[in-house]
Formats: sequence, C-alpha cells, structure tokens
Amino acid sequence: MAAFADLCISGTNDKKRLQSIIETAAHLGYSTVAINHLVEVQPKKQEIGKPKCVSELFDHFPIVQGRSRPIRVLNRLTLVVSDTSHFRQTADFKFYDIIAIYPKTEKVFHAACMSCDVDIICIAATEKQPFHFKRPPVFGAIERGVFFEISYAAAIKDSTMRRYTISNAISLMETCKGKNVIVSSGAEKPLELRGPYDIANLGLLFGLSEGDAKAAVSANCRAALLHGETRKTALGIIRTVKKSQPADEREDKEAPPSKKAKLDAM
Amino acid sequence: MVRFKSRYLLCEVCVSNPSDLRLLDERAVFFAVKAAVSRAHGDYGTALIGMCFSVKYLNAHTGVVFLRCRKSHYRMLWSALPFISSLESRGQRVPCFFNCLHVGGTIRTCQKFLIRYNTQQLHRLLPRCRSDSELVGYVGFHRAKLHCCRFVVQ
Repeated sequence: MAAFADLCISGTNDKKRLQSIIETAAHLGYSTVAINHLVEVQPKKQEIGKPKCVSELFDHFPIVQGRSRPIRVLNRLTLVVSDTSHFRQTADFKFYDIIAIYPKTEKVFHAACMSCDVDIICIAATEKQPFHFKRPPVFGAIERGVFFEISYAAAIKDSTMRRYTISNAISLMETCKGKNVIVSSGAEKPLELRGPYDIANLGLLFGLSEGDAKAAVSANCRAALLHGETRKTALGIIRTVKKSQPADEREDKEAPPSKKAKLDAM
Repeated sequence: MVRFKSRYLLCEVCVSNPSDLRLLDERAVFFAVKAAVSRAHGDYGTALIGMCFSVKYLNAHTGVVFLRCRKSHYRMLWSALPFISSLESRGQRVPCFFNCLHVGGTIRTCQKFLIRYNTQQLHRLLPRCRSDSELVGYVGFHRAKLHCCRFVVQ
C-alpha cells in the first residue's frame, strides 16, 4: 500500500476549518498533508513570517484510514513571483518544510527550473498559461529533482477553470512526458478534497499514464518532501537533531554504513 | 460463453453535516452522476452511460452507494465522479463528494470489501468513544451496516 500525500491545503486563520479539512484528509487515506501559506513577493524587502506551529492544531492527530499512524501535517510556503530579482532566500525559509514557487512569466519559470532552490513549481489552474513550456528548462528541473504541481480544486468548482486546468496540464505532459508531476488539492473547504484513487484516475484525464498517475499522488509527493528535507541537511547526507540526552550521545546520522567508520573516528 | 461484464463501483458519499445523509435517495445520485458525466465527457459520455448504468444500492444511514456500469467504460465514469460537488434531493441541495472505495466485478466482492472496511472503521472509532453507551451505539451502528451489506446479495 502506497503512502498518499496531499501537498497543498490552503492555510486559513480559521482553526476549526483547518481541523475539519485535516480530519477529512485522514478519513480519505492521506498519510501526509501540507498546509500552504501563499505569499506575493514584493520588490521591497518583506517579512514572510513564521508559520503557526502544527502541534497547536490537534492534541491527538486523527489516524489515517487503513493505517495505524496519525496523519503527518507539514508547513509549505508558496511564493508568487513575477520578476526574477524578487526571489530572495531569506532566513524564514527554514521554518517551512516545502518551498514552492508560482512563476508568472517565462523568465521566472526558466530561473525556477534551473537555479532557484525550490521543491515545487506550480502550474496555473485558474488562468490560461501565459507562456509555453520549453523542453530545456523542464528537463533541467527534472534532473534537479524539482516537481511540477497541478492543483484540482479550481477544476471542481467551475467549468471554465476546469478547461484551463486540463489544457495547462496536458501541455505540461507533452513536454515533460509525465515525469516529476504531483497532483494536489488546493482545498479551502473539507468538501473540496477527493480520495487518492479518484485523483489517480483524474490524472488519466490530465494525460498521465496509469503508473505515472498513481505515482503523482504517492511516490512523487514523497520525493518532493525528501527534497525539502535535504534543505535542512548538509549536502543531503548529515542531519543534526537536538536530543535531550547526555552530551556523549552522537548526532543522528544518515550517512551510509561504509562512511560511518570514518565519521566515528573523527 | 460470452457474457456482458460489468464493474461495480463502491462509493461513499461524504457530507459535512451527518443529518443530510437521510435526504439521499437513488434518483438523486443517478441524476447527479449522469449530469457530471455529461459535463465532463459530453454527448459521448452521456450516450455510454445511457447504455448500462444504474444505482444498485444506496444506504442512507452510512452513505454507501453501489454504481454499476459496463467494464469497457467504467474508468470514464470513475473519472467524472470527482467533479460531483452536490446532490439535488427533494428540492434541497446537499453539498457532498463521492469517495470511491473499491471497484469490483461482482456485488459479492464489493460486499466482502465493505465488511472488511467496516471492521476497520470500528477499530478506528472504538478508541475514541468515551462511555459505555457510546460504545453500544457504535457497535450497533456498524452491525446495521454489515446487515445492510448482506441484504444486498439477497
């Protein structure tokens, strides 16, 4: 059984609504959810702000349908960028588990694919894509491990949005051949969520193959999360964790066994 | 022997307000699904659905629905289900969504899945009940669900 994840739930200040969305997600079978904080990047320096602590939401997180573990809730930041110079890495980024970018122009898209330190690039769902997808930046992003995200909440609400979502999704598939794609909800209400197998089927409408569509809800989401975790590590190998145990206890390491001997000697 | 193969989609209708479930009936579900397929797949979809689509069973207490369609285009029907956002029943609009739990070739396999699913639900809900009366209520509720499943096969 694959672990399904929904990486985009609209963050609101309404705690009850967020709680009901997360409970619905756990009932539908999602093991991981990410609360989205949308920020329009201004030319002048601005404060992005810390996300609310996740443990404030629930005393006991609801248990995922079909598993025995509680649902995992993460924080995600989406930057709406229209100019390459506006995107700056600030210290606030480390409070978020996933960083996503929503490019408004072709230059920003190219920069996001090739050089920006992001995990996810969002594809427009509510408007016609202002630029075409070119092969070099898309393949560059695939090599770097950046994912393209399609959001389906707009498609459920309105017929015109549905057309935009499907046409943008299919034009992306033609360029990227179905690799590195994730599908997420962007839900603002609990009734806008859909089950993971339903979404895998929706992926067929978007032009994905059956295997790719299922991966879009499970394996690719997990890969995007790991990509976000590596931002907190050194070169993606070593991760330090604060432990409340005596000082001679070693740091938590993710190094492969062959290297462990050397590190221990150091 | 060549026979017409069909697929049974076992779906759960999820509503935000549990009391709205009582308003559900088979006609409402039938028309909602038909409308969703025609919006998503146009005249072609409507024509295929007109061939052999029916709502075989609906449990208003738990929101479980059995939809039946031909094996050749069950995927097309399935892909239109996420677009349903409300049901029209007795003059009232009930906001809801369909969650497809299982696809089976016969009603019997769907019933077996439903029994397993209900026992899982019972295990999930039991730790949460705080008093003996709630426990009795939950067990009775799920026993009713299992009873309804067995009813379908007969």
